[in-house]
Amino acid sequence: MLSEVPPEMIQRVKNLTGVELKDTAEAYQDSIQIQLGILLLQLFDIRQLKAIQQKPDAVAGHSLGIFAAAVAAGVISEDDAIKIVYIRSTEMQKSYPSGYGMGAIVGLTRKEVSALVAQINSDGQPVFTSNQNSELQTVISGSLEGINKVLALAKNNGAQKTVLLKVPVPSHSPLMQKVADVLEKELSKVELHDPKCTYLANYNGRSSKKVTEVKYDMINNLVHPVYWDTMMDVASELGIDTTLEVQPGQTFTKLVKSKFPDFRTITMKNMSLDDIEFLLEKWKRG
Amino acid sequence: MANRSWTQNRDNKAAKMASISSLLDGKLVKTENAKALLESIIKPGDKVVLEGDNQKQASFLSETLASVDPEKVHDLHMIMSSVSRPEHLDIFETGIAKKLDFSFAGPQSTRISQMIADGTMEVGDIHTYLELYARLYVDLIPNVVLVAADKVDREGNLYTGANTEETPVIVESAAFKDGIVIVQANEIVDKVPRVDIPGDWVDIVVPADEPYQLEPLFTRDPQNVTELQILMGMMAIRGIYEKHNVQTVNHGVGFNTAAIELLLPTYGEQLGLKGKIVPNWEVNPTPTLIPAIESGWVKTIHSFGGEVGMENYIAHRPDIFFVGKDGSMRSNRAFGQMAGQYALDMFVGSTLQIDKYGNSSTVTNGRLSGFGGAPNMGSNPHGRRHSTPAWQSLRPDDDPLGKGQKLVVQMVETFGSNKKPVFVDHLDAEEVQKEAKLANVPIMIYSEDTTHIVTEEGIAYLYKTDSMAERQAAIEAIAGVTPVGLRSNPKQLKELRAKGIVALPEDLGVHRSEAKRSLLAAQNMDDLVKWSDGLYNPPAKFRSWS
Repeated sequence: MLSEVPPEMIQRVKNLTGVELKDTAEAYQDSIQIQLGILLLQLFDIRQLKAIQQKPDAVAGHSLGIFAAAVAAGVISEDDAIKIVYIRSTEMQKSYPSGYGMGAIVGLTRKEVSALVAQINSDGQPVFTSNQNSELQTVISGSLEGINKVLALAKNNGAQKTVLLKVPVPSHSPLMQKVADVLEKELSKVELHDPKCTYLANYNGRSSKKVTEVKYDMINNLVHPVYWDTMMDVASELGIDTTLEVQPGQTFTKLVKSKFPDFRTITMKNMSLDDIEFLLEKWKRG
Repeated sequence: MANRSWTQNRDNKAAKMASISSLLDGKLVKTENAKALLESIIKPGDKVVLEGDNQKQASFLSETLASVDPEKVHDLHMIMSSVSRPEHLDIFETGIAKKLDFSFAGPQSTRISQMIADGTMEVGDIHTYLELYARLYVDLIPNVVLVAADKVDREGNLYTGANTEETPVIVESAAFKDGIVIVQANEIVDKVPRVDIPGDWVDIVVPADEPYQLEPLFTRDPQNVTELQILMGMMAIRGIYEKHNVQTVNHGVGFNTAAIELLLPTYGEQLGLKGKIVPNWEVNPTPTLIPAIESGWVKTIHSFGGEVGMENYIAHRPDIFFVGKDGSMRSNRAFGQMAGQYALDMFVGSTLQIDKYGNSSTVTNGRLSGFGGAPNMGSNPHGRRHSTPAWQSLRPDDDPLGKGQKLVVQMVETFGSNKKPVFVDHLDAEEVQKEAKLANVPIMIYSEDTTHIVTEEGIAYLYKTDSMAERQAAIEAIAGVTPVGLRSNPKQLKELRAKGIVALPEDLGVHRSEAKRSLLAAQNMDDLVKWSDGLYNPPAKFRSWS
């Protein structure tokens, strides 16, 4: 995954965090390696886009992705983003060693999912309605016991598909408050700037140009659902009609395409920088 | 009393105009001075109408307003029939505006919901178009109106052409009450092709940096009409248009009604209905009407607004459309809404949700889309006194003082495009009312006004029901396998069919197997162009063949 990233960037991560990023399947079993690896790849992509003078009108990150988004918007430096993500991933890994995770439900609305979650959620088996990836794709988060019960209920109530996600922590739920508390302390030491473009926030699905909102999101997005679907609605209402997805994948491009078939999309994973520059310039000309 | 001045408003306006005299060359202000103009002439707290119509947007003036210094211009009370562009809401984030009275916000429905919930914006109320125009003359009289014109001459005469839309009703409310009328012009000319607004009503004209935004909102590609919609169209033609002898109509802008328009010259012809139904229309010039016009079904059309690409076709069909001596159409949304409310036998529309009682709403899932014109046309006007056969056909026969009723038809498939039931026990709008702290649930069309519902299952003749229980049973009978529909049973259905309250396709002589795409008078955009004799010029986004 990191083969195209310059060695100096990998070295920088080691200097800042002590973590040696290894590009091996084994290393990617470790969530700290994964989070730092993905961040670094995204920072590299953002550098590349800068090199061809492409500036976004708006940035949208999903969960970990907000840190690269904040870098792209000029809110936080690369170094600080690396340091914060290192702390975030370490705290996440420590928080729930076993028995917790996330599940996804396809085919039910958020309202329908929330009704099922309410039937199961209790102190003994906590489970919460979490990320809204599309109108009919909702994530739940909490104890595996609670999640499995909600997934079974969802199946019986008309869900097309339910999956237990390979995520070992109950991200984007109130169970992550302790990690947010640590991040609040750490981010108070970091120099942040107002975003140079519109920032679409995870925690409330709103657009903002204020540093306070980006900071709140970086501290607290783990405690809140990612309102991705709403973020995309807002982007579209703001006049956005072109998206570019940084690496590693193309998940969000697929979501955008199914929601807004007329949008023009680019995935950096599948396209050379030359092609990207050509397309973006062509679309700008109209 | 002796000292009281009765010309304070006039004096204020004169003082304001004097304060910007250095920017004025006659009525003209240079494009680059637009921001300075607005900063001087709009005062904090002013009531400002920003012309955001359905199709036409005063986009230069809205962008300019969004760029003013919030220290100078703030806390405005905006009055807008359609909130469509990002900057229409940006001005609330920056404090330039504070309060909003509006009708429709479909294109900004997520952000407007967020801003209401966050208290970024104070909402006066949500209106139908006609109500909002009415209030411009009573308790929302504007201080400043910002409107858009195609061409303006040096005297300030406006040519607004096919997209006249709201401009007259907005301008008149300010021009005769000491408000200030500011116009953005696509072009300054020596002589306008025709005078749509007299220059005497206009104070200031600014040439825009680019033409106002105009969208082809009512163009439906026949290619996207489904066979289910064709089936429902056939049922509606037989079970409603023919049965009630409907002469005057407004169609909503969905594919259901496009299907009907394209079935008239084929299926309608086969039924021998030509010359017998729907000669007179209040509707935008939708391209899917071209075959019905060309084959002699449609006699007259009055329009709320224009439609991009139809200009030349309309210019060549002045017997059908309202056209000026210059050859271009004149539209007028205020008169169109008035006609739609009072002069029509029937309104046919669609919606996103219908509850078990028959109330319908397009407000779903935290999105406050507002109303537009459907509630005016989709309601029974109690002030109506003139009679027509269709109207009279709904008169209850047990009331000596009874009168007729407008046909208000909702056409929906039982499941929406998201595969969720359209028929529900409770409308999402009920929750949106709480979230947005509205006085009333934002219902588009009330059950009491809804006379027919058409689904792929059949037609419910709600006007024939004599109790709410019977009305609910009629809705259940055509609600398919939605939770509401599953409450229906064969015995109930049989009784409702016997009473004529519910009709299935077979009761109407409509064969499901006949509902084929080949029945459409035009199968695609190219066919529409051919029907129009090459006069219709589809916008680029609809030109799949080029």
